[in-house]
Amino acid sequence: MKAARLWLGLALLLPALSNAGDEAELRTVDLTWSAEAVKRGVETVTSVCMACHSLKYIKYRDLLKLGYTPGEVDVKRADRDLDSPLLSQMPPDSAAEAFGKVPPDLSLMARAREGGGRYIYSMVTGFYLDPAGNVDNRVFHGIRMPDVLGFSGVTDAAQRAQLEGTVRDAAIFLEWAADPKAQERRSLGFYVIGYLALLTVLLYLLKRRIWGRLR
Amino acid sequence: MANRVIAWIDQRFPLTSFIKHELTDYPTPRNLSYWWNFGFLAGFVLVIQMVSGIFLAMHYKPDTALAFDSVQHIMRDVNYGWLIRYLHSTGASAFFAVIFIHMARTLYYGSYRAPRELMWWTGQVLLLLIMATAFMGYLLPWGQMSYWGAQVITNLFRATPFIGDQIVVWMRGDFVVGDATLTRFFALHFLFPFLIFGMVVIHLVGLHTVKSSNPSGINLADKDNIPFHPYFTIKDFYGLGVFMLVFGALAFFFPHFFIENANNIPANPLQTPAHIVPEWYFLPFYAILRAIPDLLGGVVAMALSILIFSAMPYLDRSRIPGGGRYRPVYRVMFYLFVADVVLLGYVGAEPPTATLAIVGQVATFMYFGMFLLLPWASRKEEQWLRARGLPRAVQELLDDEAASAKGSRK
Repeated sequence: MKAARLWLGLALLLPALSNAGDEAELRTVDLTWSAEAVKRGVETVTSVCMACHSLKYIKYRDLLKLGYTPGEVDVKRADRDLDSPLLSQMPPDSAAEAFGKVPPDLSLMARAREGGGRYIYSMVTGFYLDPAGNVDNRVFHGIRMPDVLGFSGVTDAAQRAQLEGTVRDAAIFLEWAADPKAQERRSLGFYVIGYLALLTVLLYLLKRRIWGRLR
Repeated sequence: MANRVIAWIDQRFPLTSFIKHELTDYPTPRNLSYWWNFGFLAGFVLVIQMVSGIFLAMHYKPDTALAFDSVQHIMRDVNYGWLIRYLHSTGASAFFAVIFIHMARTLYYGSYRAPRELMWWTGQVLLLLIMATAFMGYLLPWGQMSYWGAQVITNLFRATPFIGDQIVVWMRGDFVVGDATLTRFFALHFLFPFLIFGMVVIHLVGLHTVKSSNPSGINLADKDNIPFHPYFTIKDFYGLGVFMLVFGALAFFFPHFFIENANNIPANPLQTPAHIVPEWYFLPFYAILRAIPDLLGGVVAMALSILIFSAMPYLDRSRIPGGGRYRPVYRVMFYLFVADVVLLGYVGAEPPTATLAIVGQVATFMYFGMFLLLPWASRKEEQWLRARGLPRAVQELLDDEAASAKGSRK
């Protein structure tokens, strides 16, 4: 009976869980963090994506946290300040003229889409040629972003695999960019939970001891 | 020295007598279950929200051009800003979870009945204040869902007869949700917790007058009451430990669970999100709003769905103690009601379809039906229970308490 009541209590929270249904089929991909993958991702994002997109919440200084040496960062930032944000090479006005809208900022993209890094990976690798010979995207039909990496034209499996690896690394970096404190959060979380677990056990023992005074 | 300081204070302020009256001598039924922990937990979450909120306010900018960026500034540049924000965003959900359980306990055990009607009604005011605070706070990150949520909800006041349009403009300070709205919501979001705090004090003064209800549903004799301190302070703290484990796990490992993806996109008045959903704690009421095809009707139904709880002390006509514990019909109605609320929550979360619209309407009918059925059902149930003879546990309890009450009077 007690358990049934508890479950009903928890069930109140269920609606929040239930609306996680993805509209487009996302591809499964292993986005495990590794220092090398993130650095490769930074290279792809800064050299390819940032032609049109910005990452305004990421500063050049942040790259130091990803294992870049000050010298490497200096090469990337050129005459820009260490604290200046990563902005696109294309000015927003020209981008709006070229694509009809300013390409969205990528700093939070991995948090802004259902599926996070998986969405980014599926979308960027999702370009294909439709029967009429036009480029379209499986995840985002009619997307205005061009097929920059050329997925729609690749027929060679090895080449495709290599390109997919590039996108995967970029997605790993973008997941970091959207939530740069995730690792710090988790490692602190373990200590907090450990501390609370110990405290709760002690409080339970104290509770039993105090209540033991009643007969 | 300490004694002299306390004596000095006691001559000028009732410190010792206050502690005695409200803690060390405050009589509390010894049979309270862990369902009675949730009031204390709600108070604790209020403290989490106020403390984290004040620190957020030190770094947040209530300006449409700066708000979204300032939240990212908190997340990325402020020392432990991510922690402060996640405690606050998770805390909002935790607040409602704890409050809903607190309400469900009150409903199940019939704790709203005389002499605790004012507890129930001050609690009702607290719920409304917390809902208003949560709604206004949700606009502050200035994401897509913040913006469109506020746009949709303020728009509901358009249903006000005659002056609907003026009311909406008056609330927003503009024709659409904009900078004026954001700034005033920030000001009010900062103010309301203090109103909530004041209301909590009133709630507690009321509680210490009528004392806690208990699972048996009757007022226990002195022998079955124990001092609040140390027995219930330690029980509340142990419960707090368990709560903090769950809360900590959510805040540290699943903080995004309570943040809509779309709210990581800055507010864009020109682009409506495909599917506007309120936060989970508003979903059942939102489903009721959508169930009525007419705007005014929907708004009235939604308001009634919350306000109707106030009528419970009058709708429940049974004099059998213990609420759902000793009343099988009421118990079934309680569980059906909880299931119905969960169903409404599901309907509120999904994009509207023809089938779901009907499910939502049936569930809305069930929701109000339970309240309307209660006066008749509770009276019939009491007649049936009395004709059958009260359950042995109730009868024994009543006899026992009556006997010891007689004993203490001698």
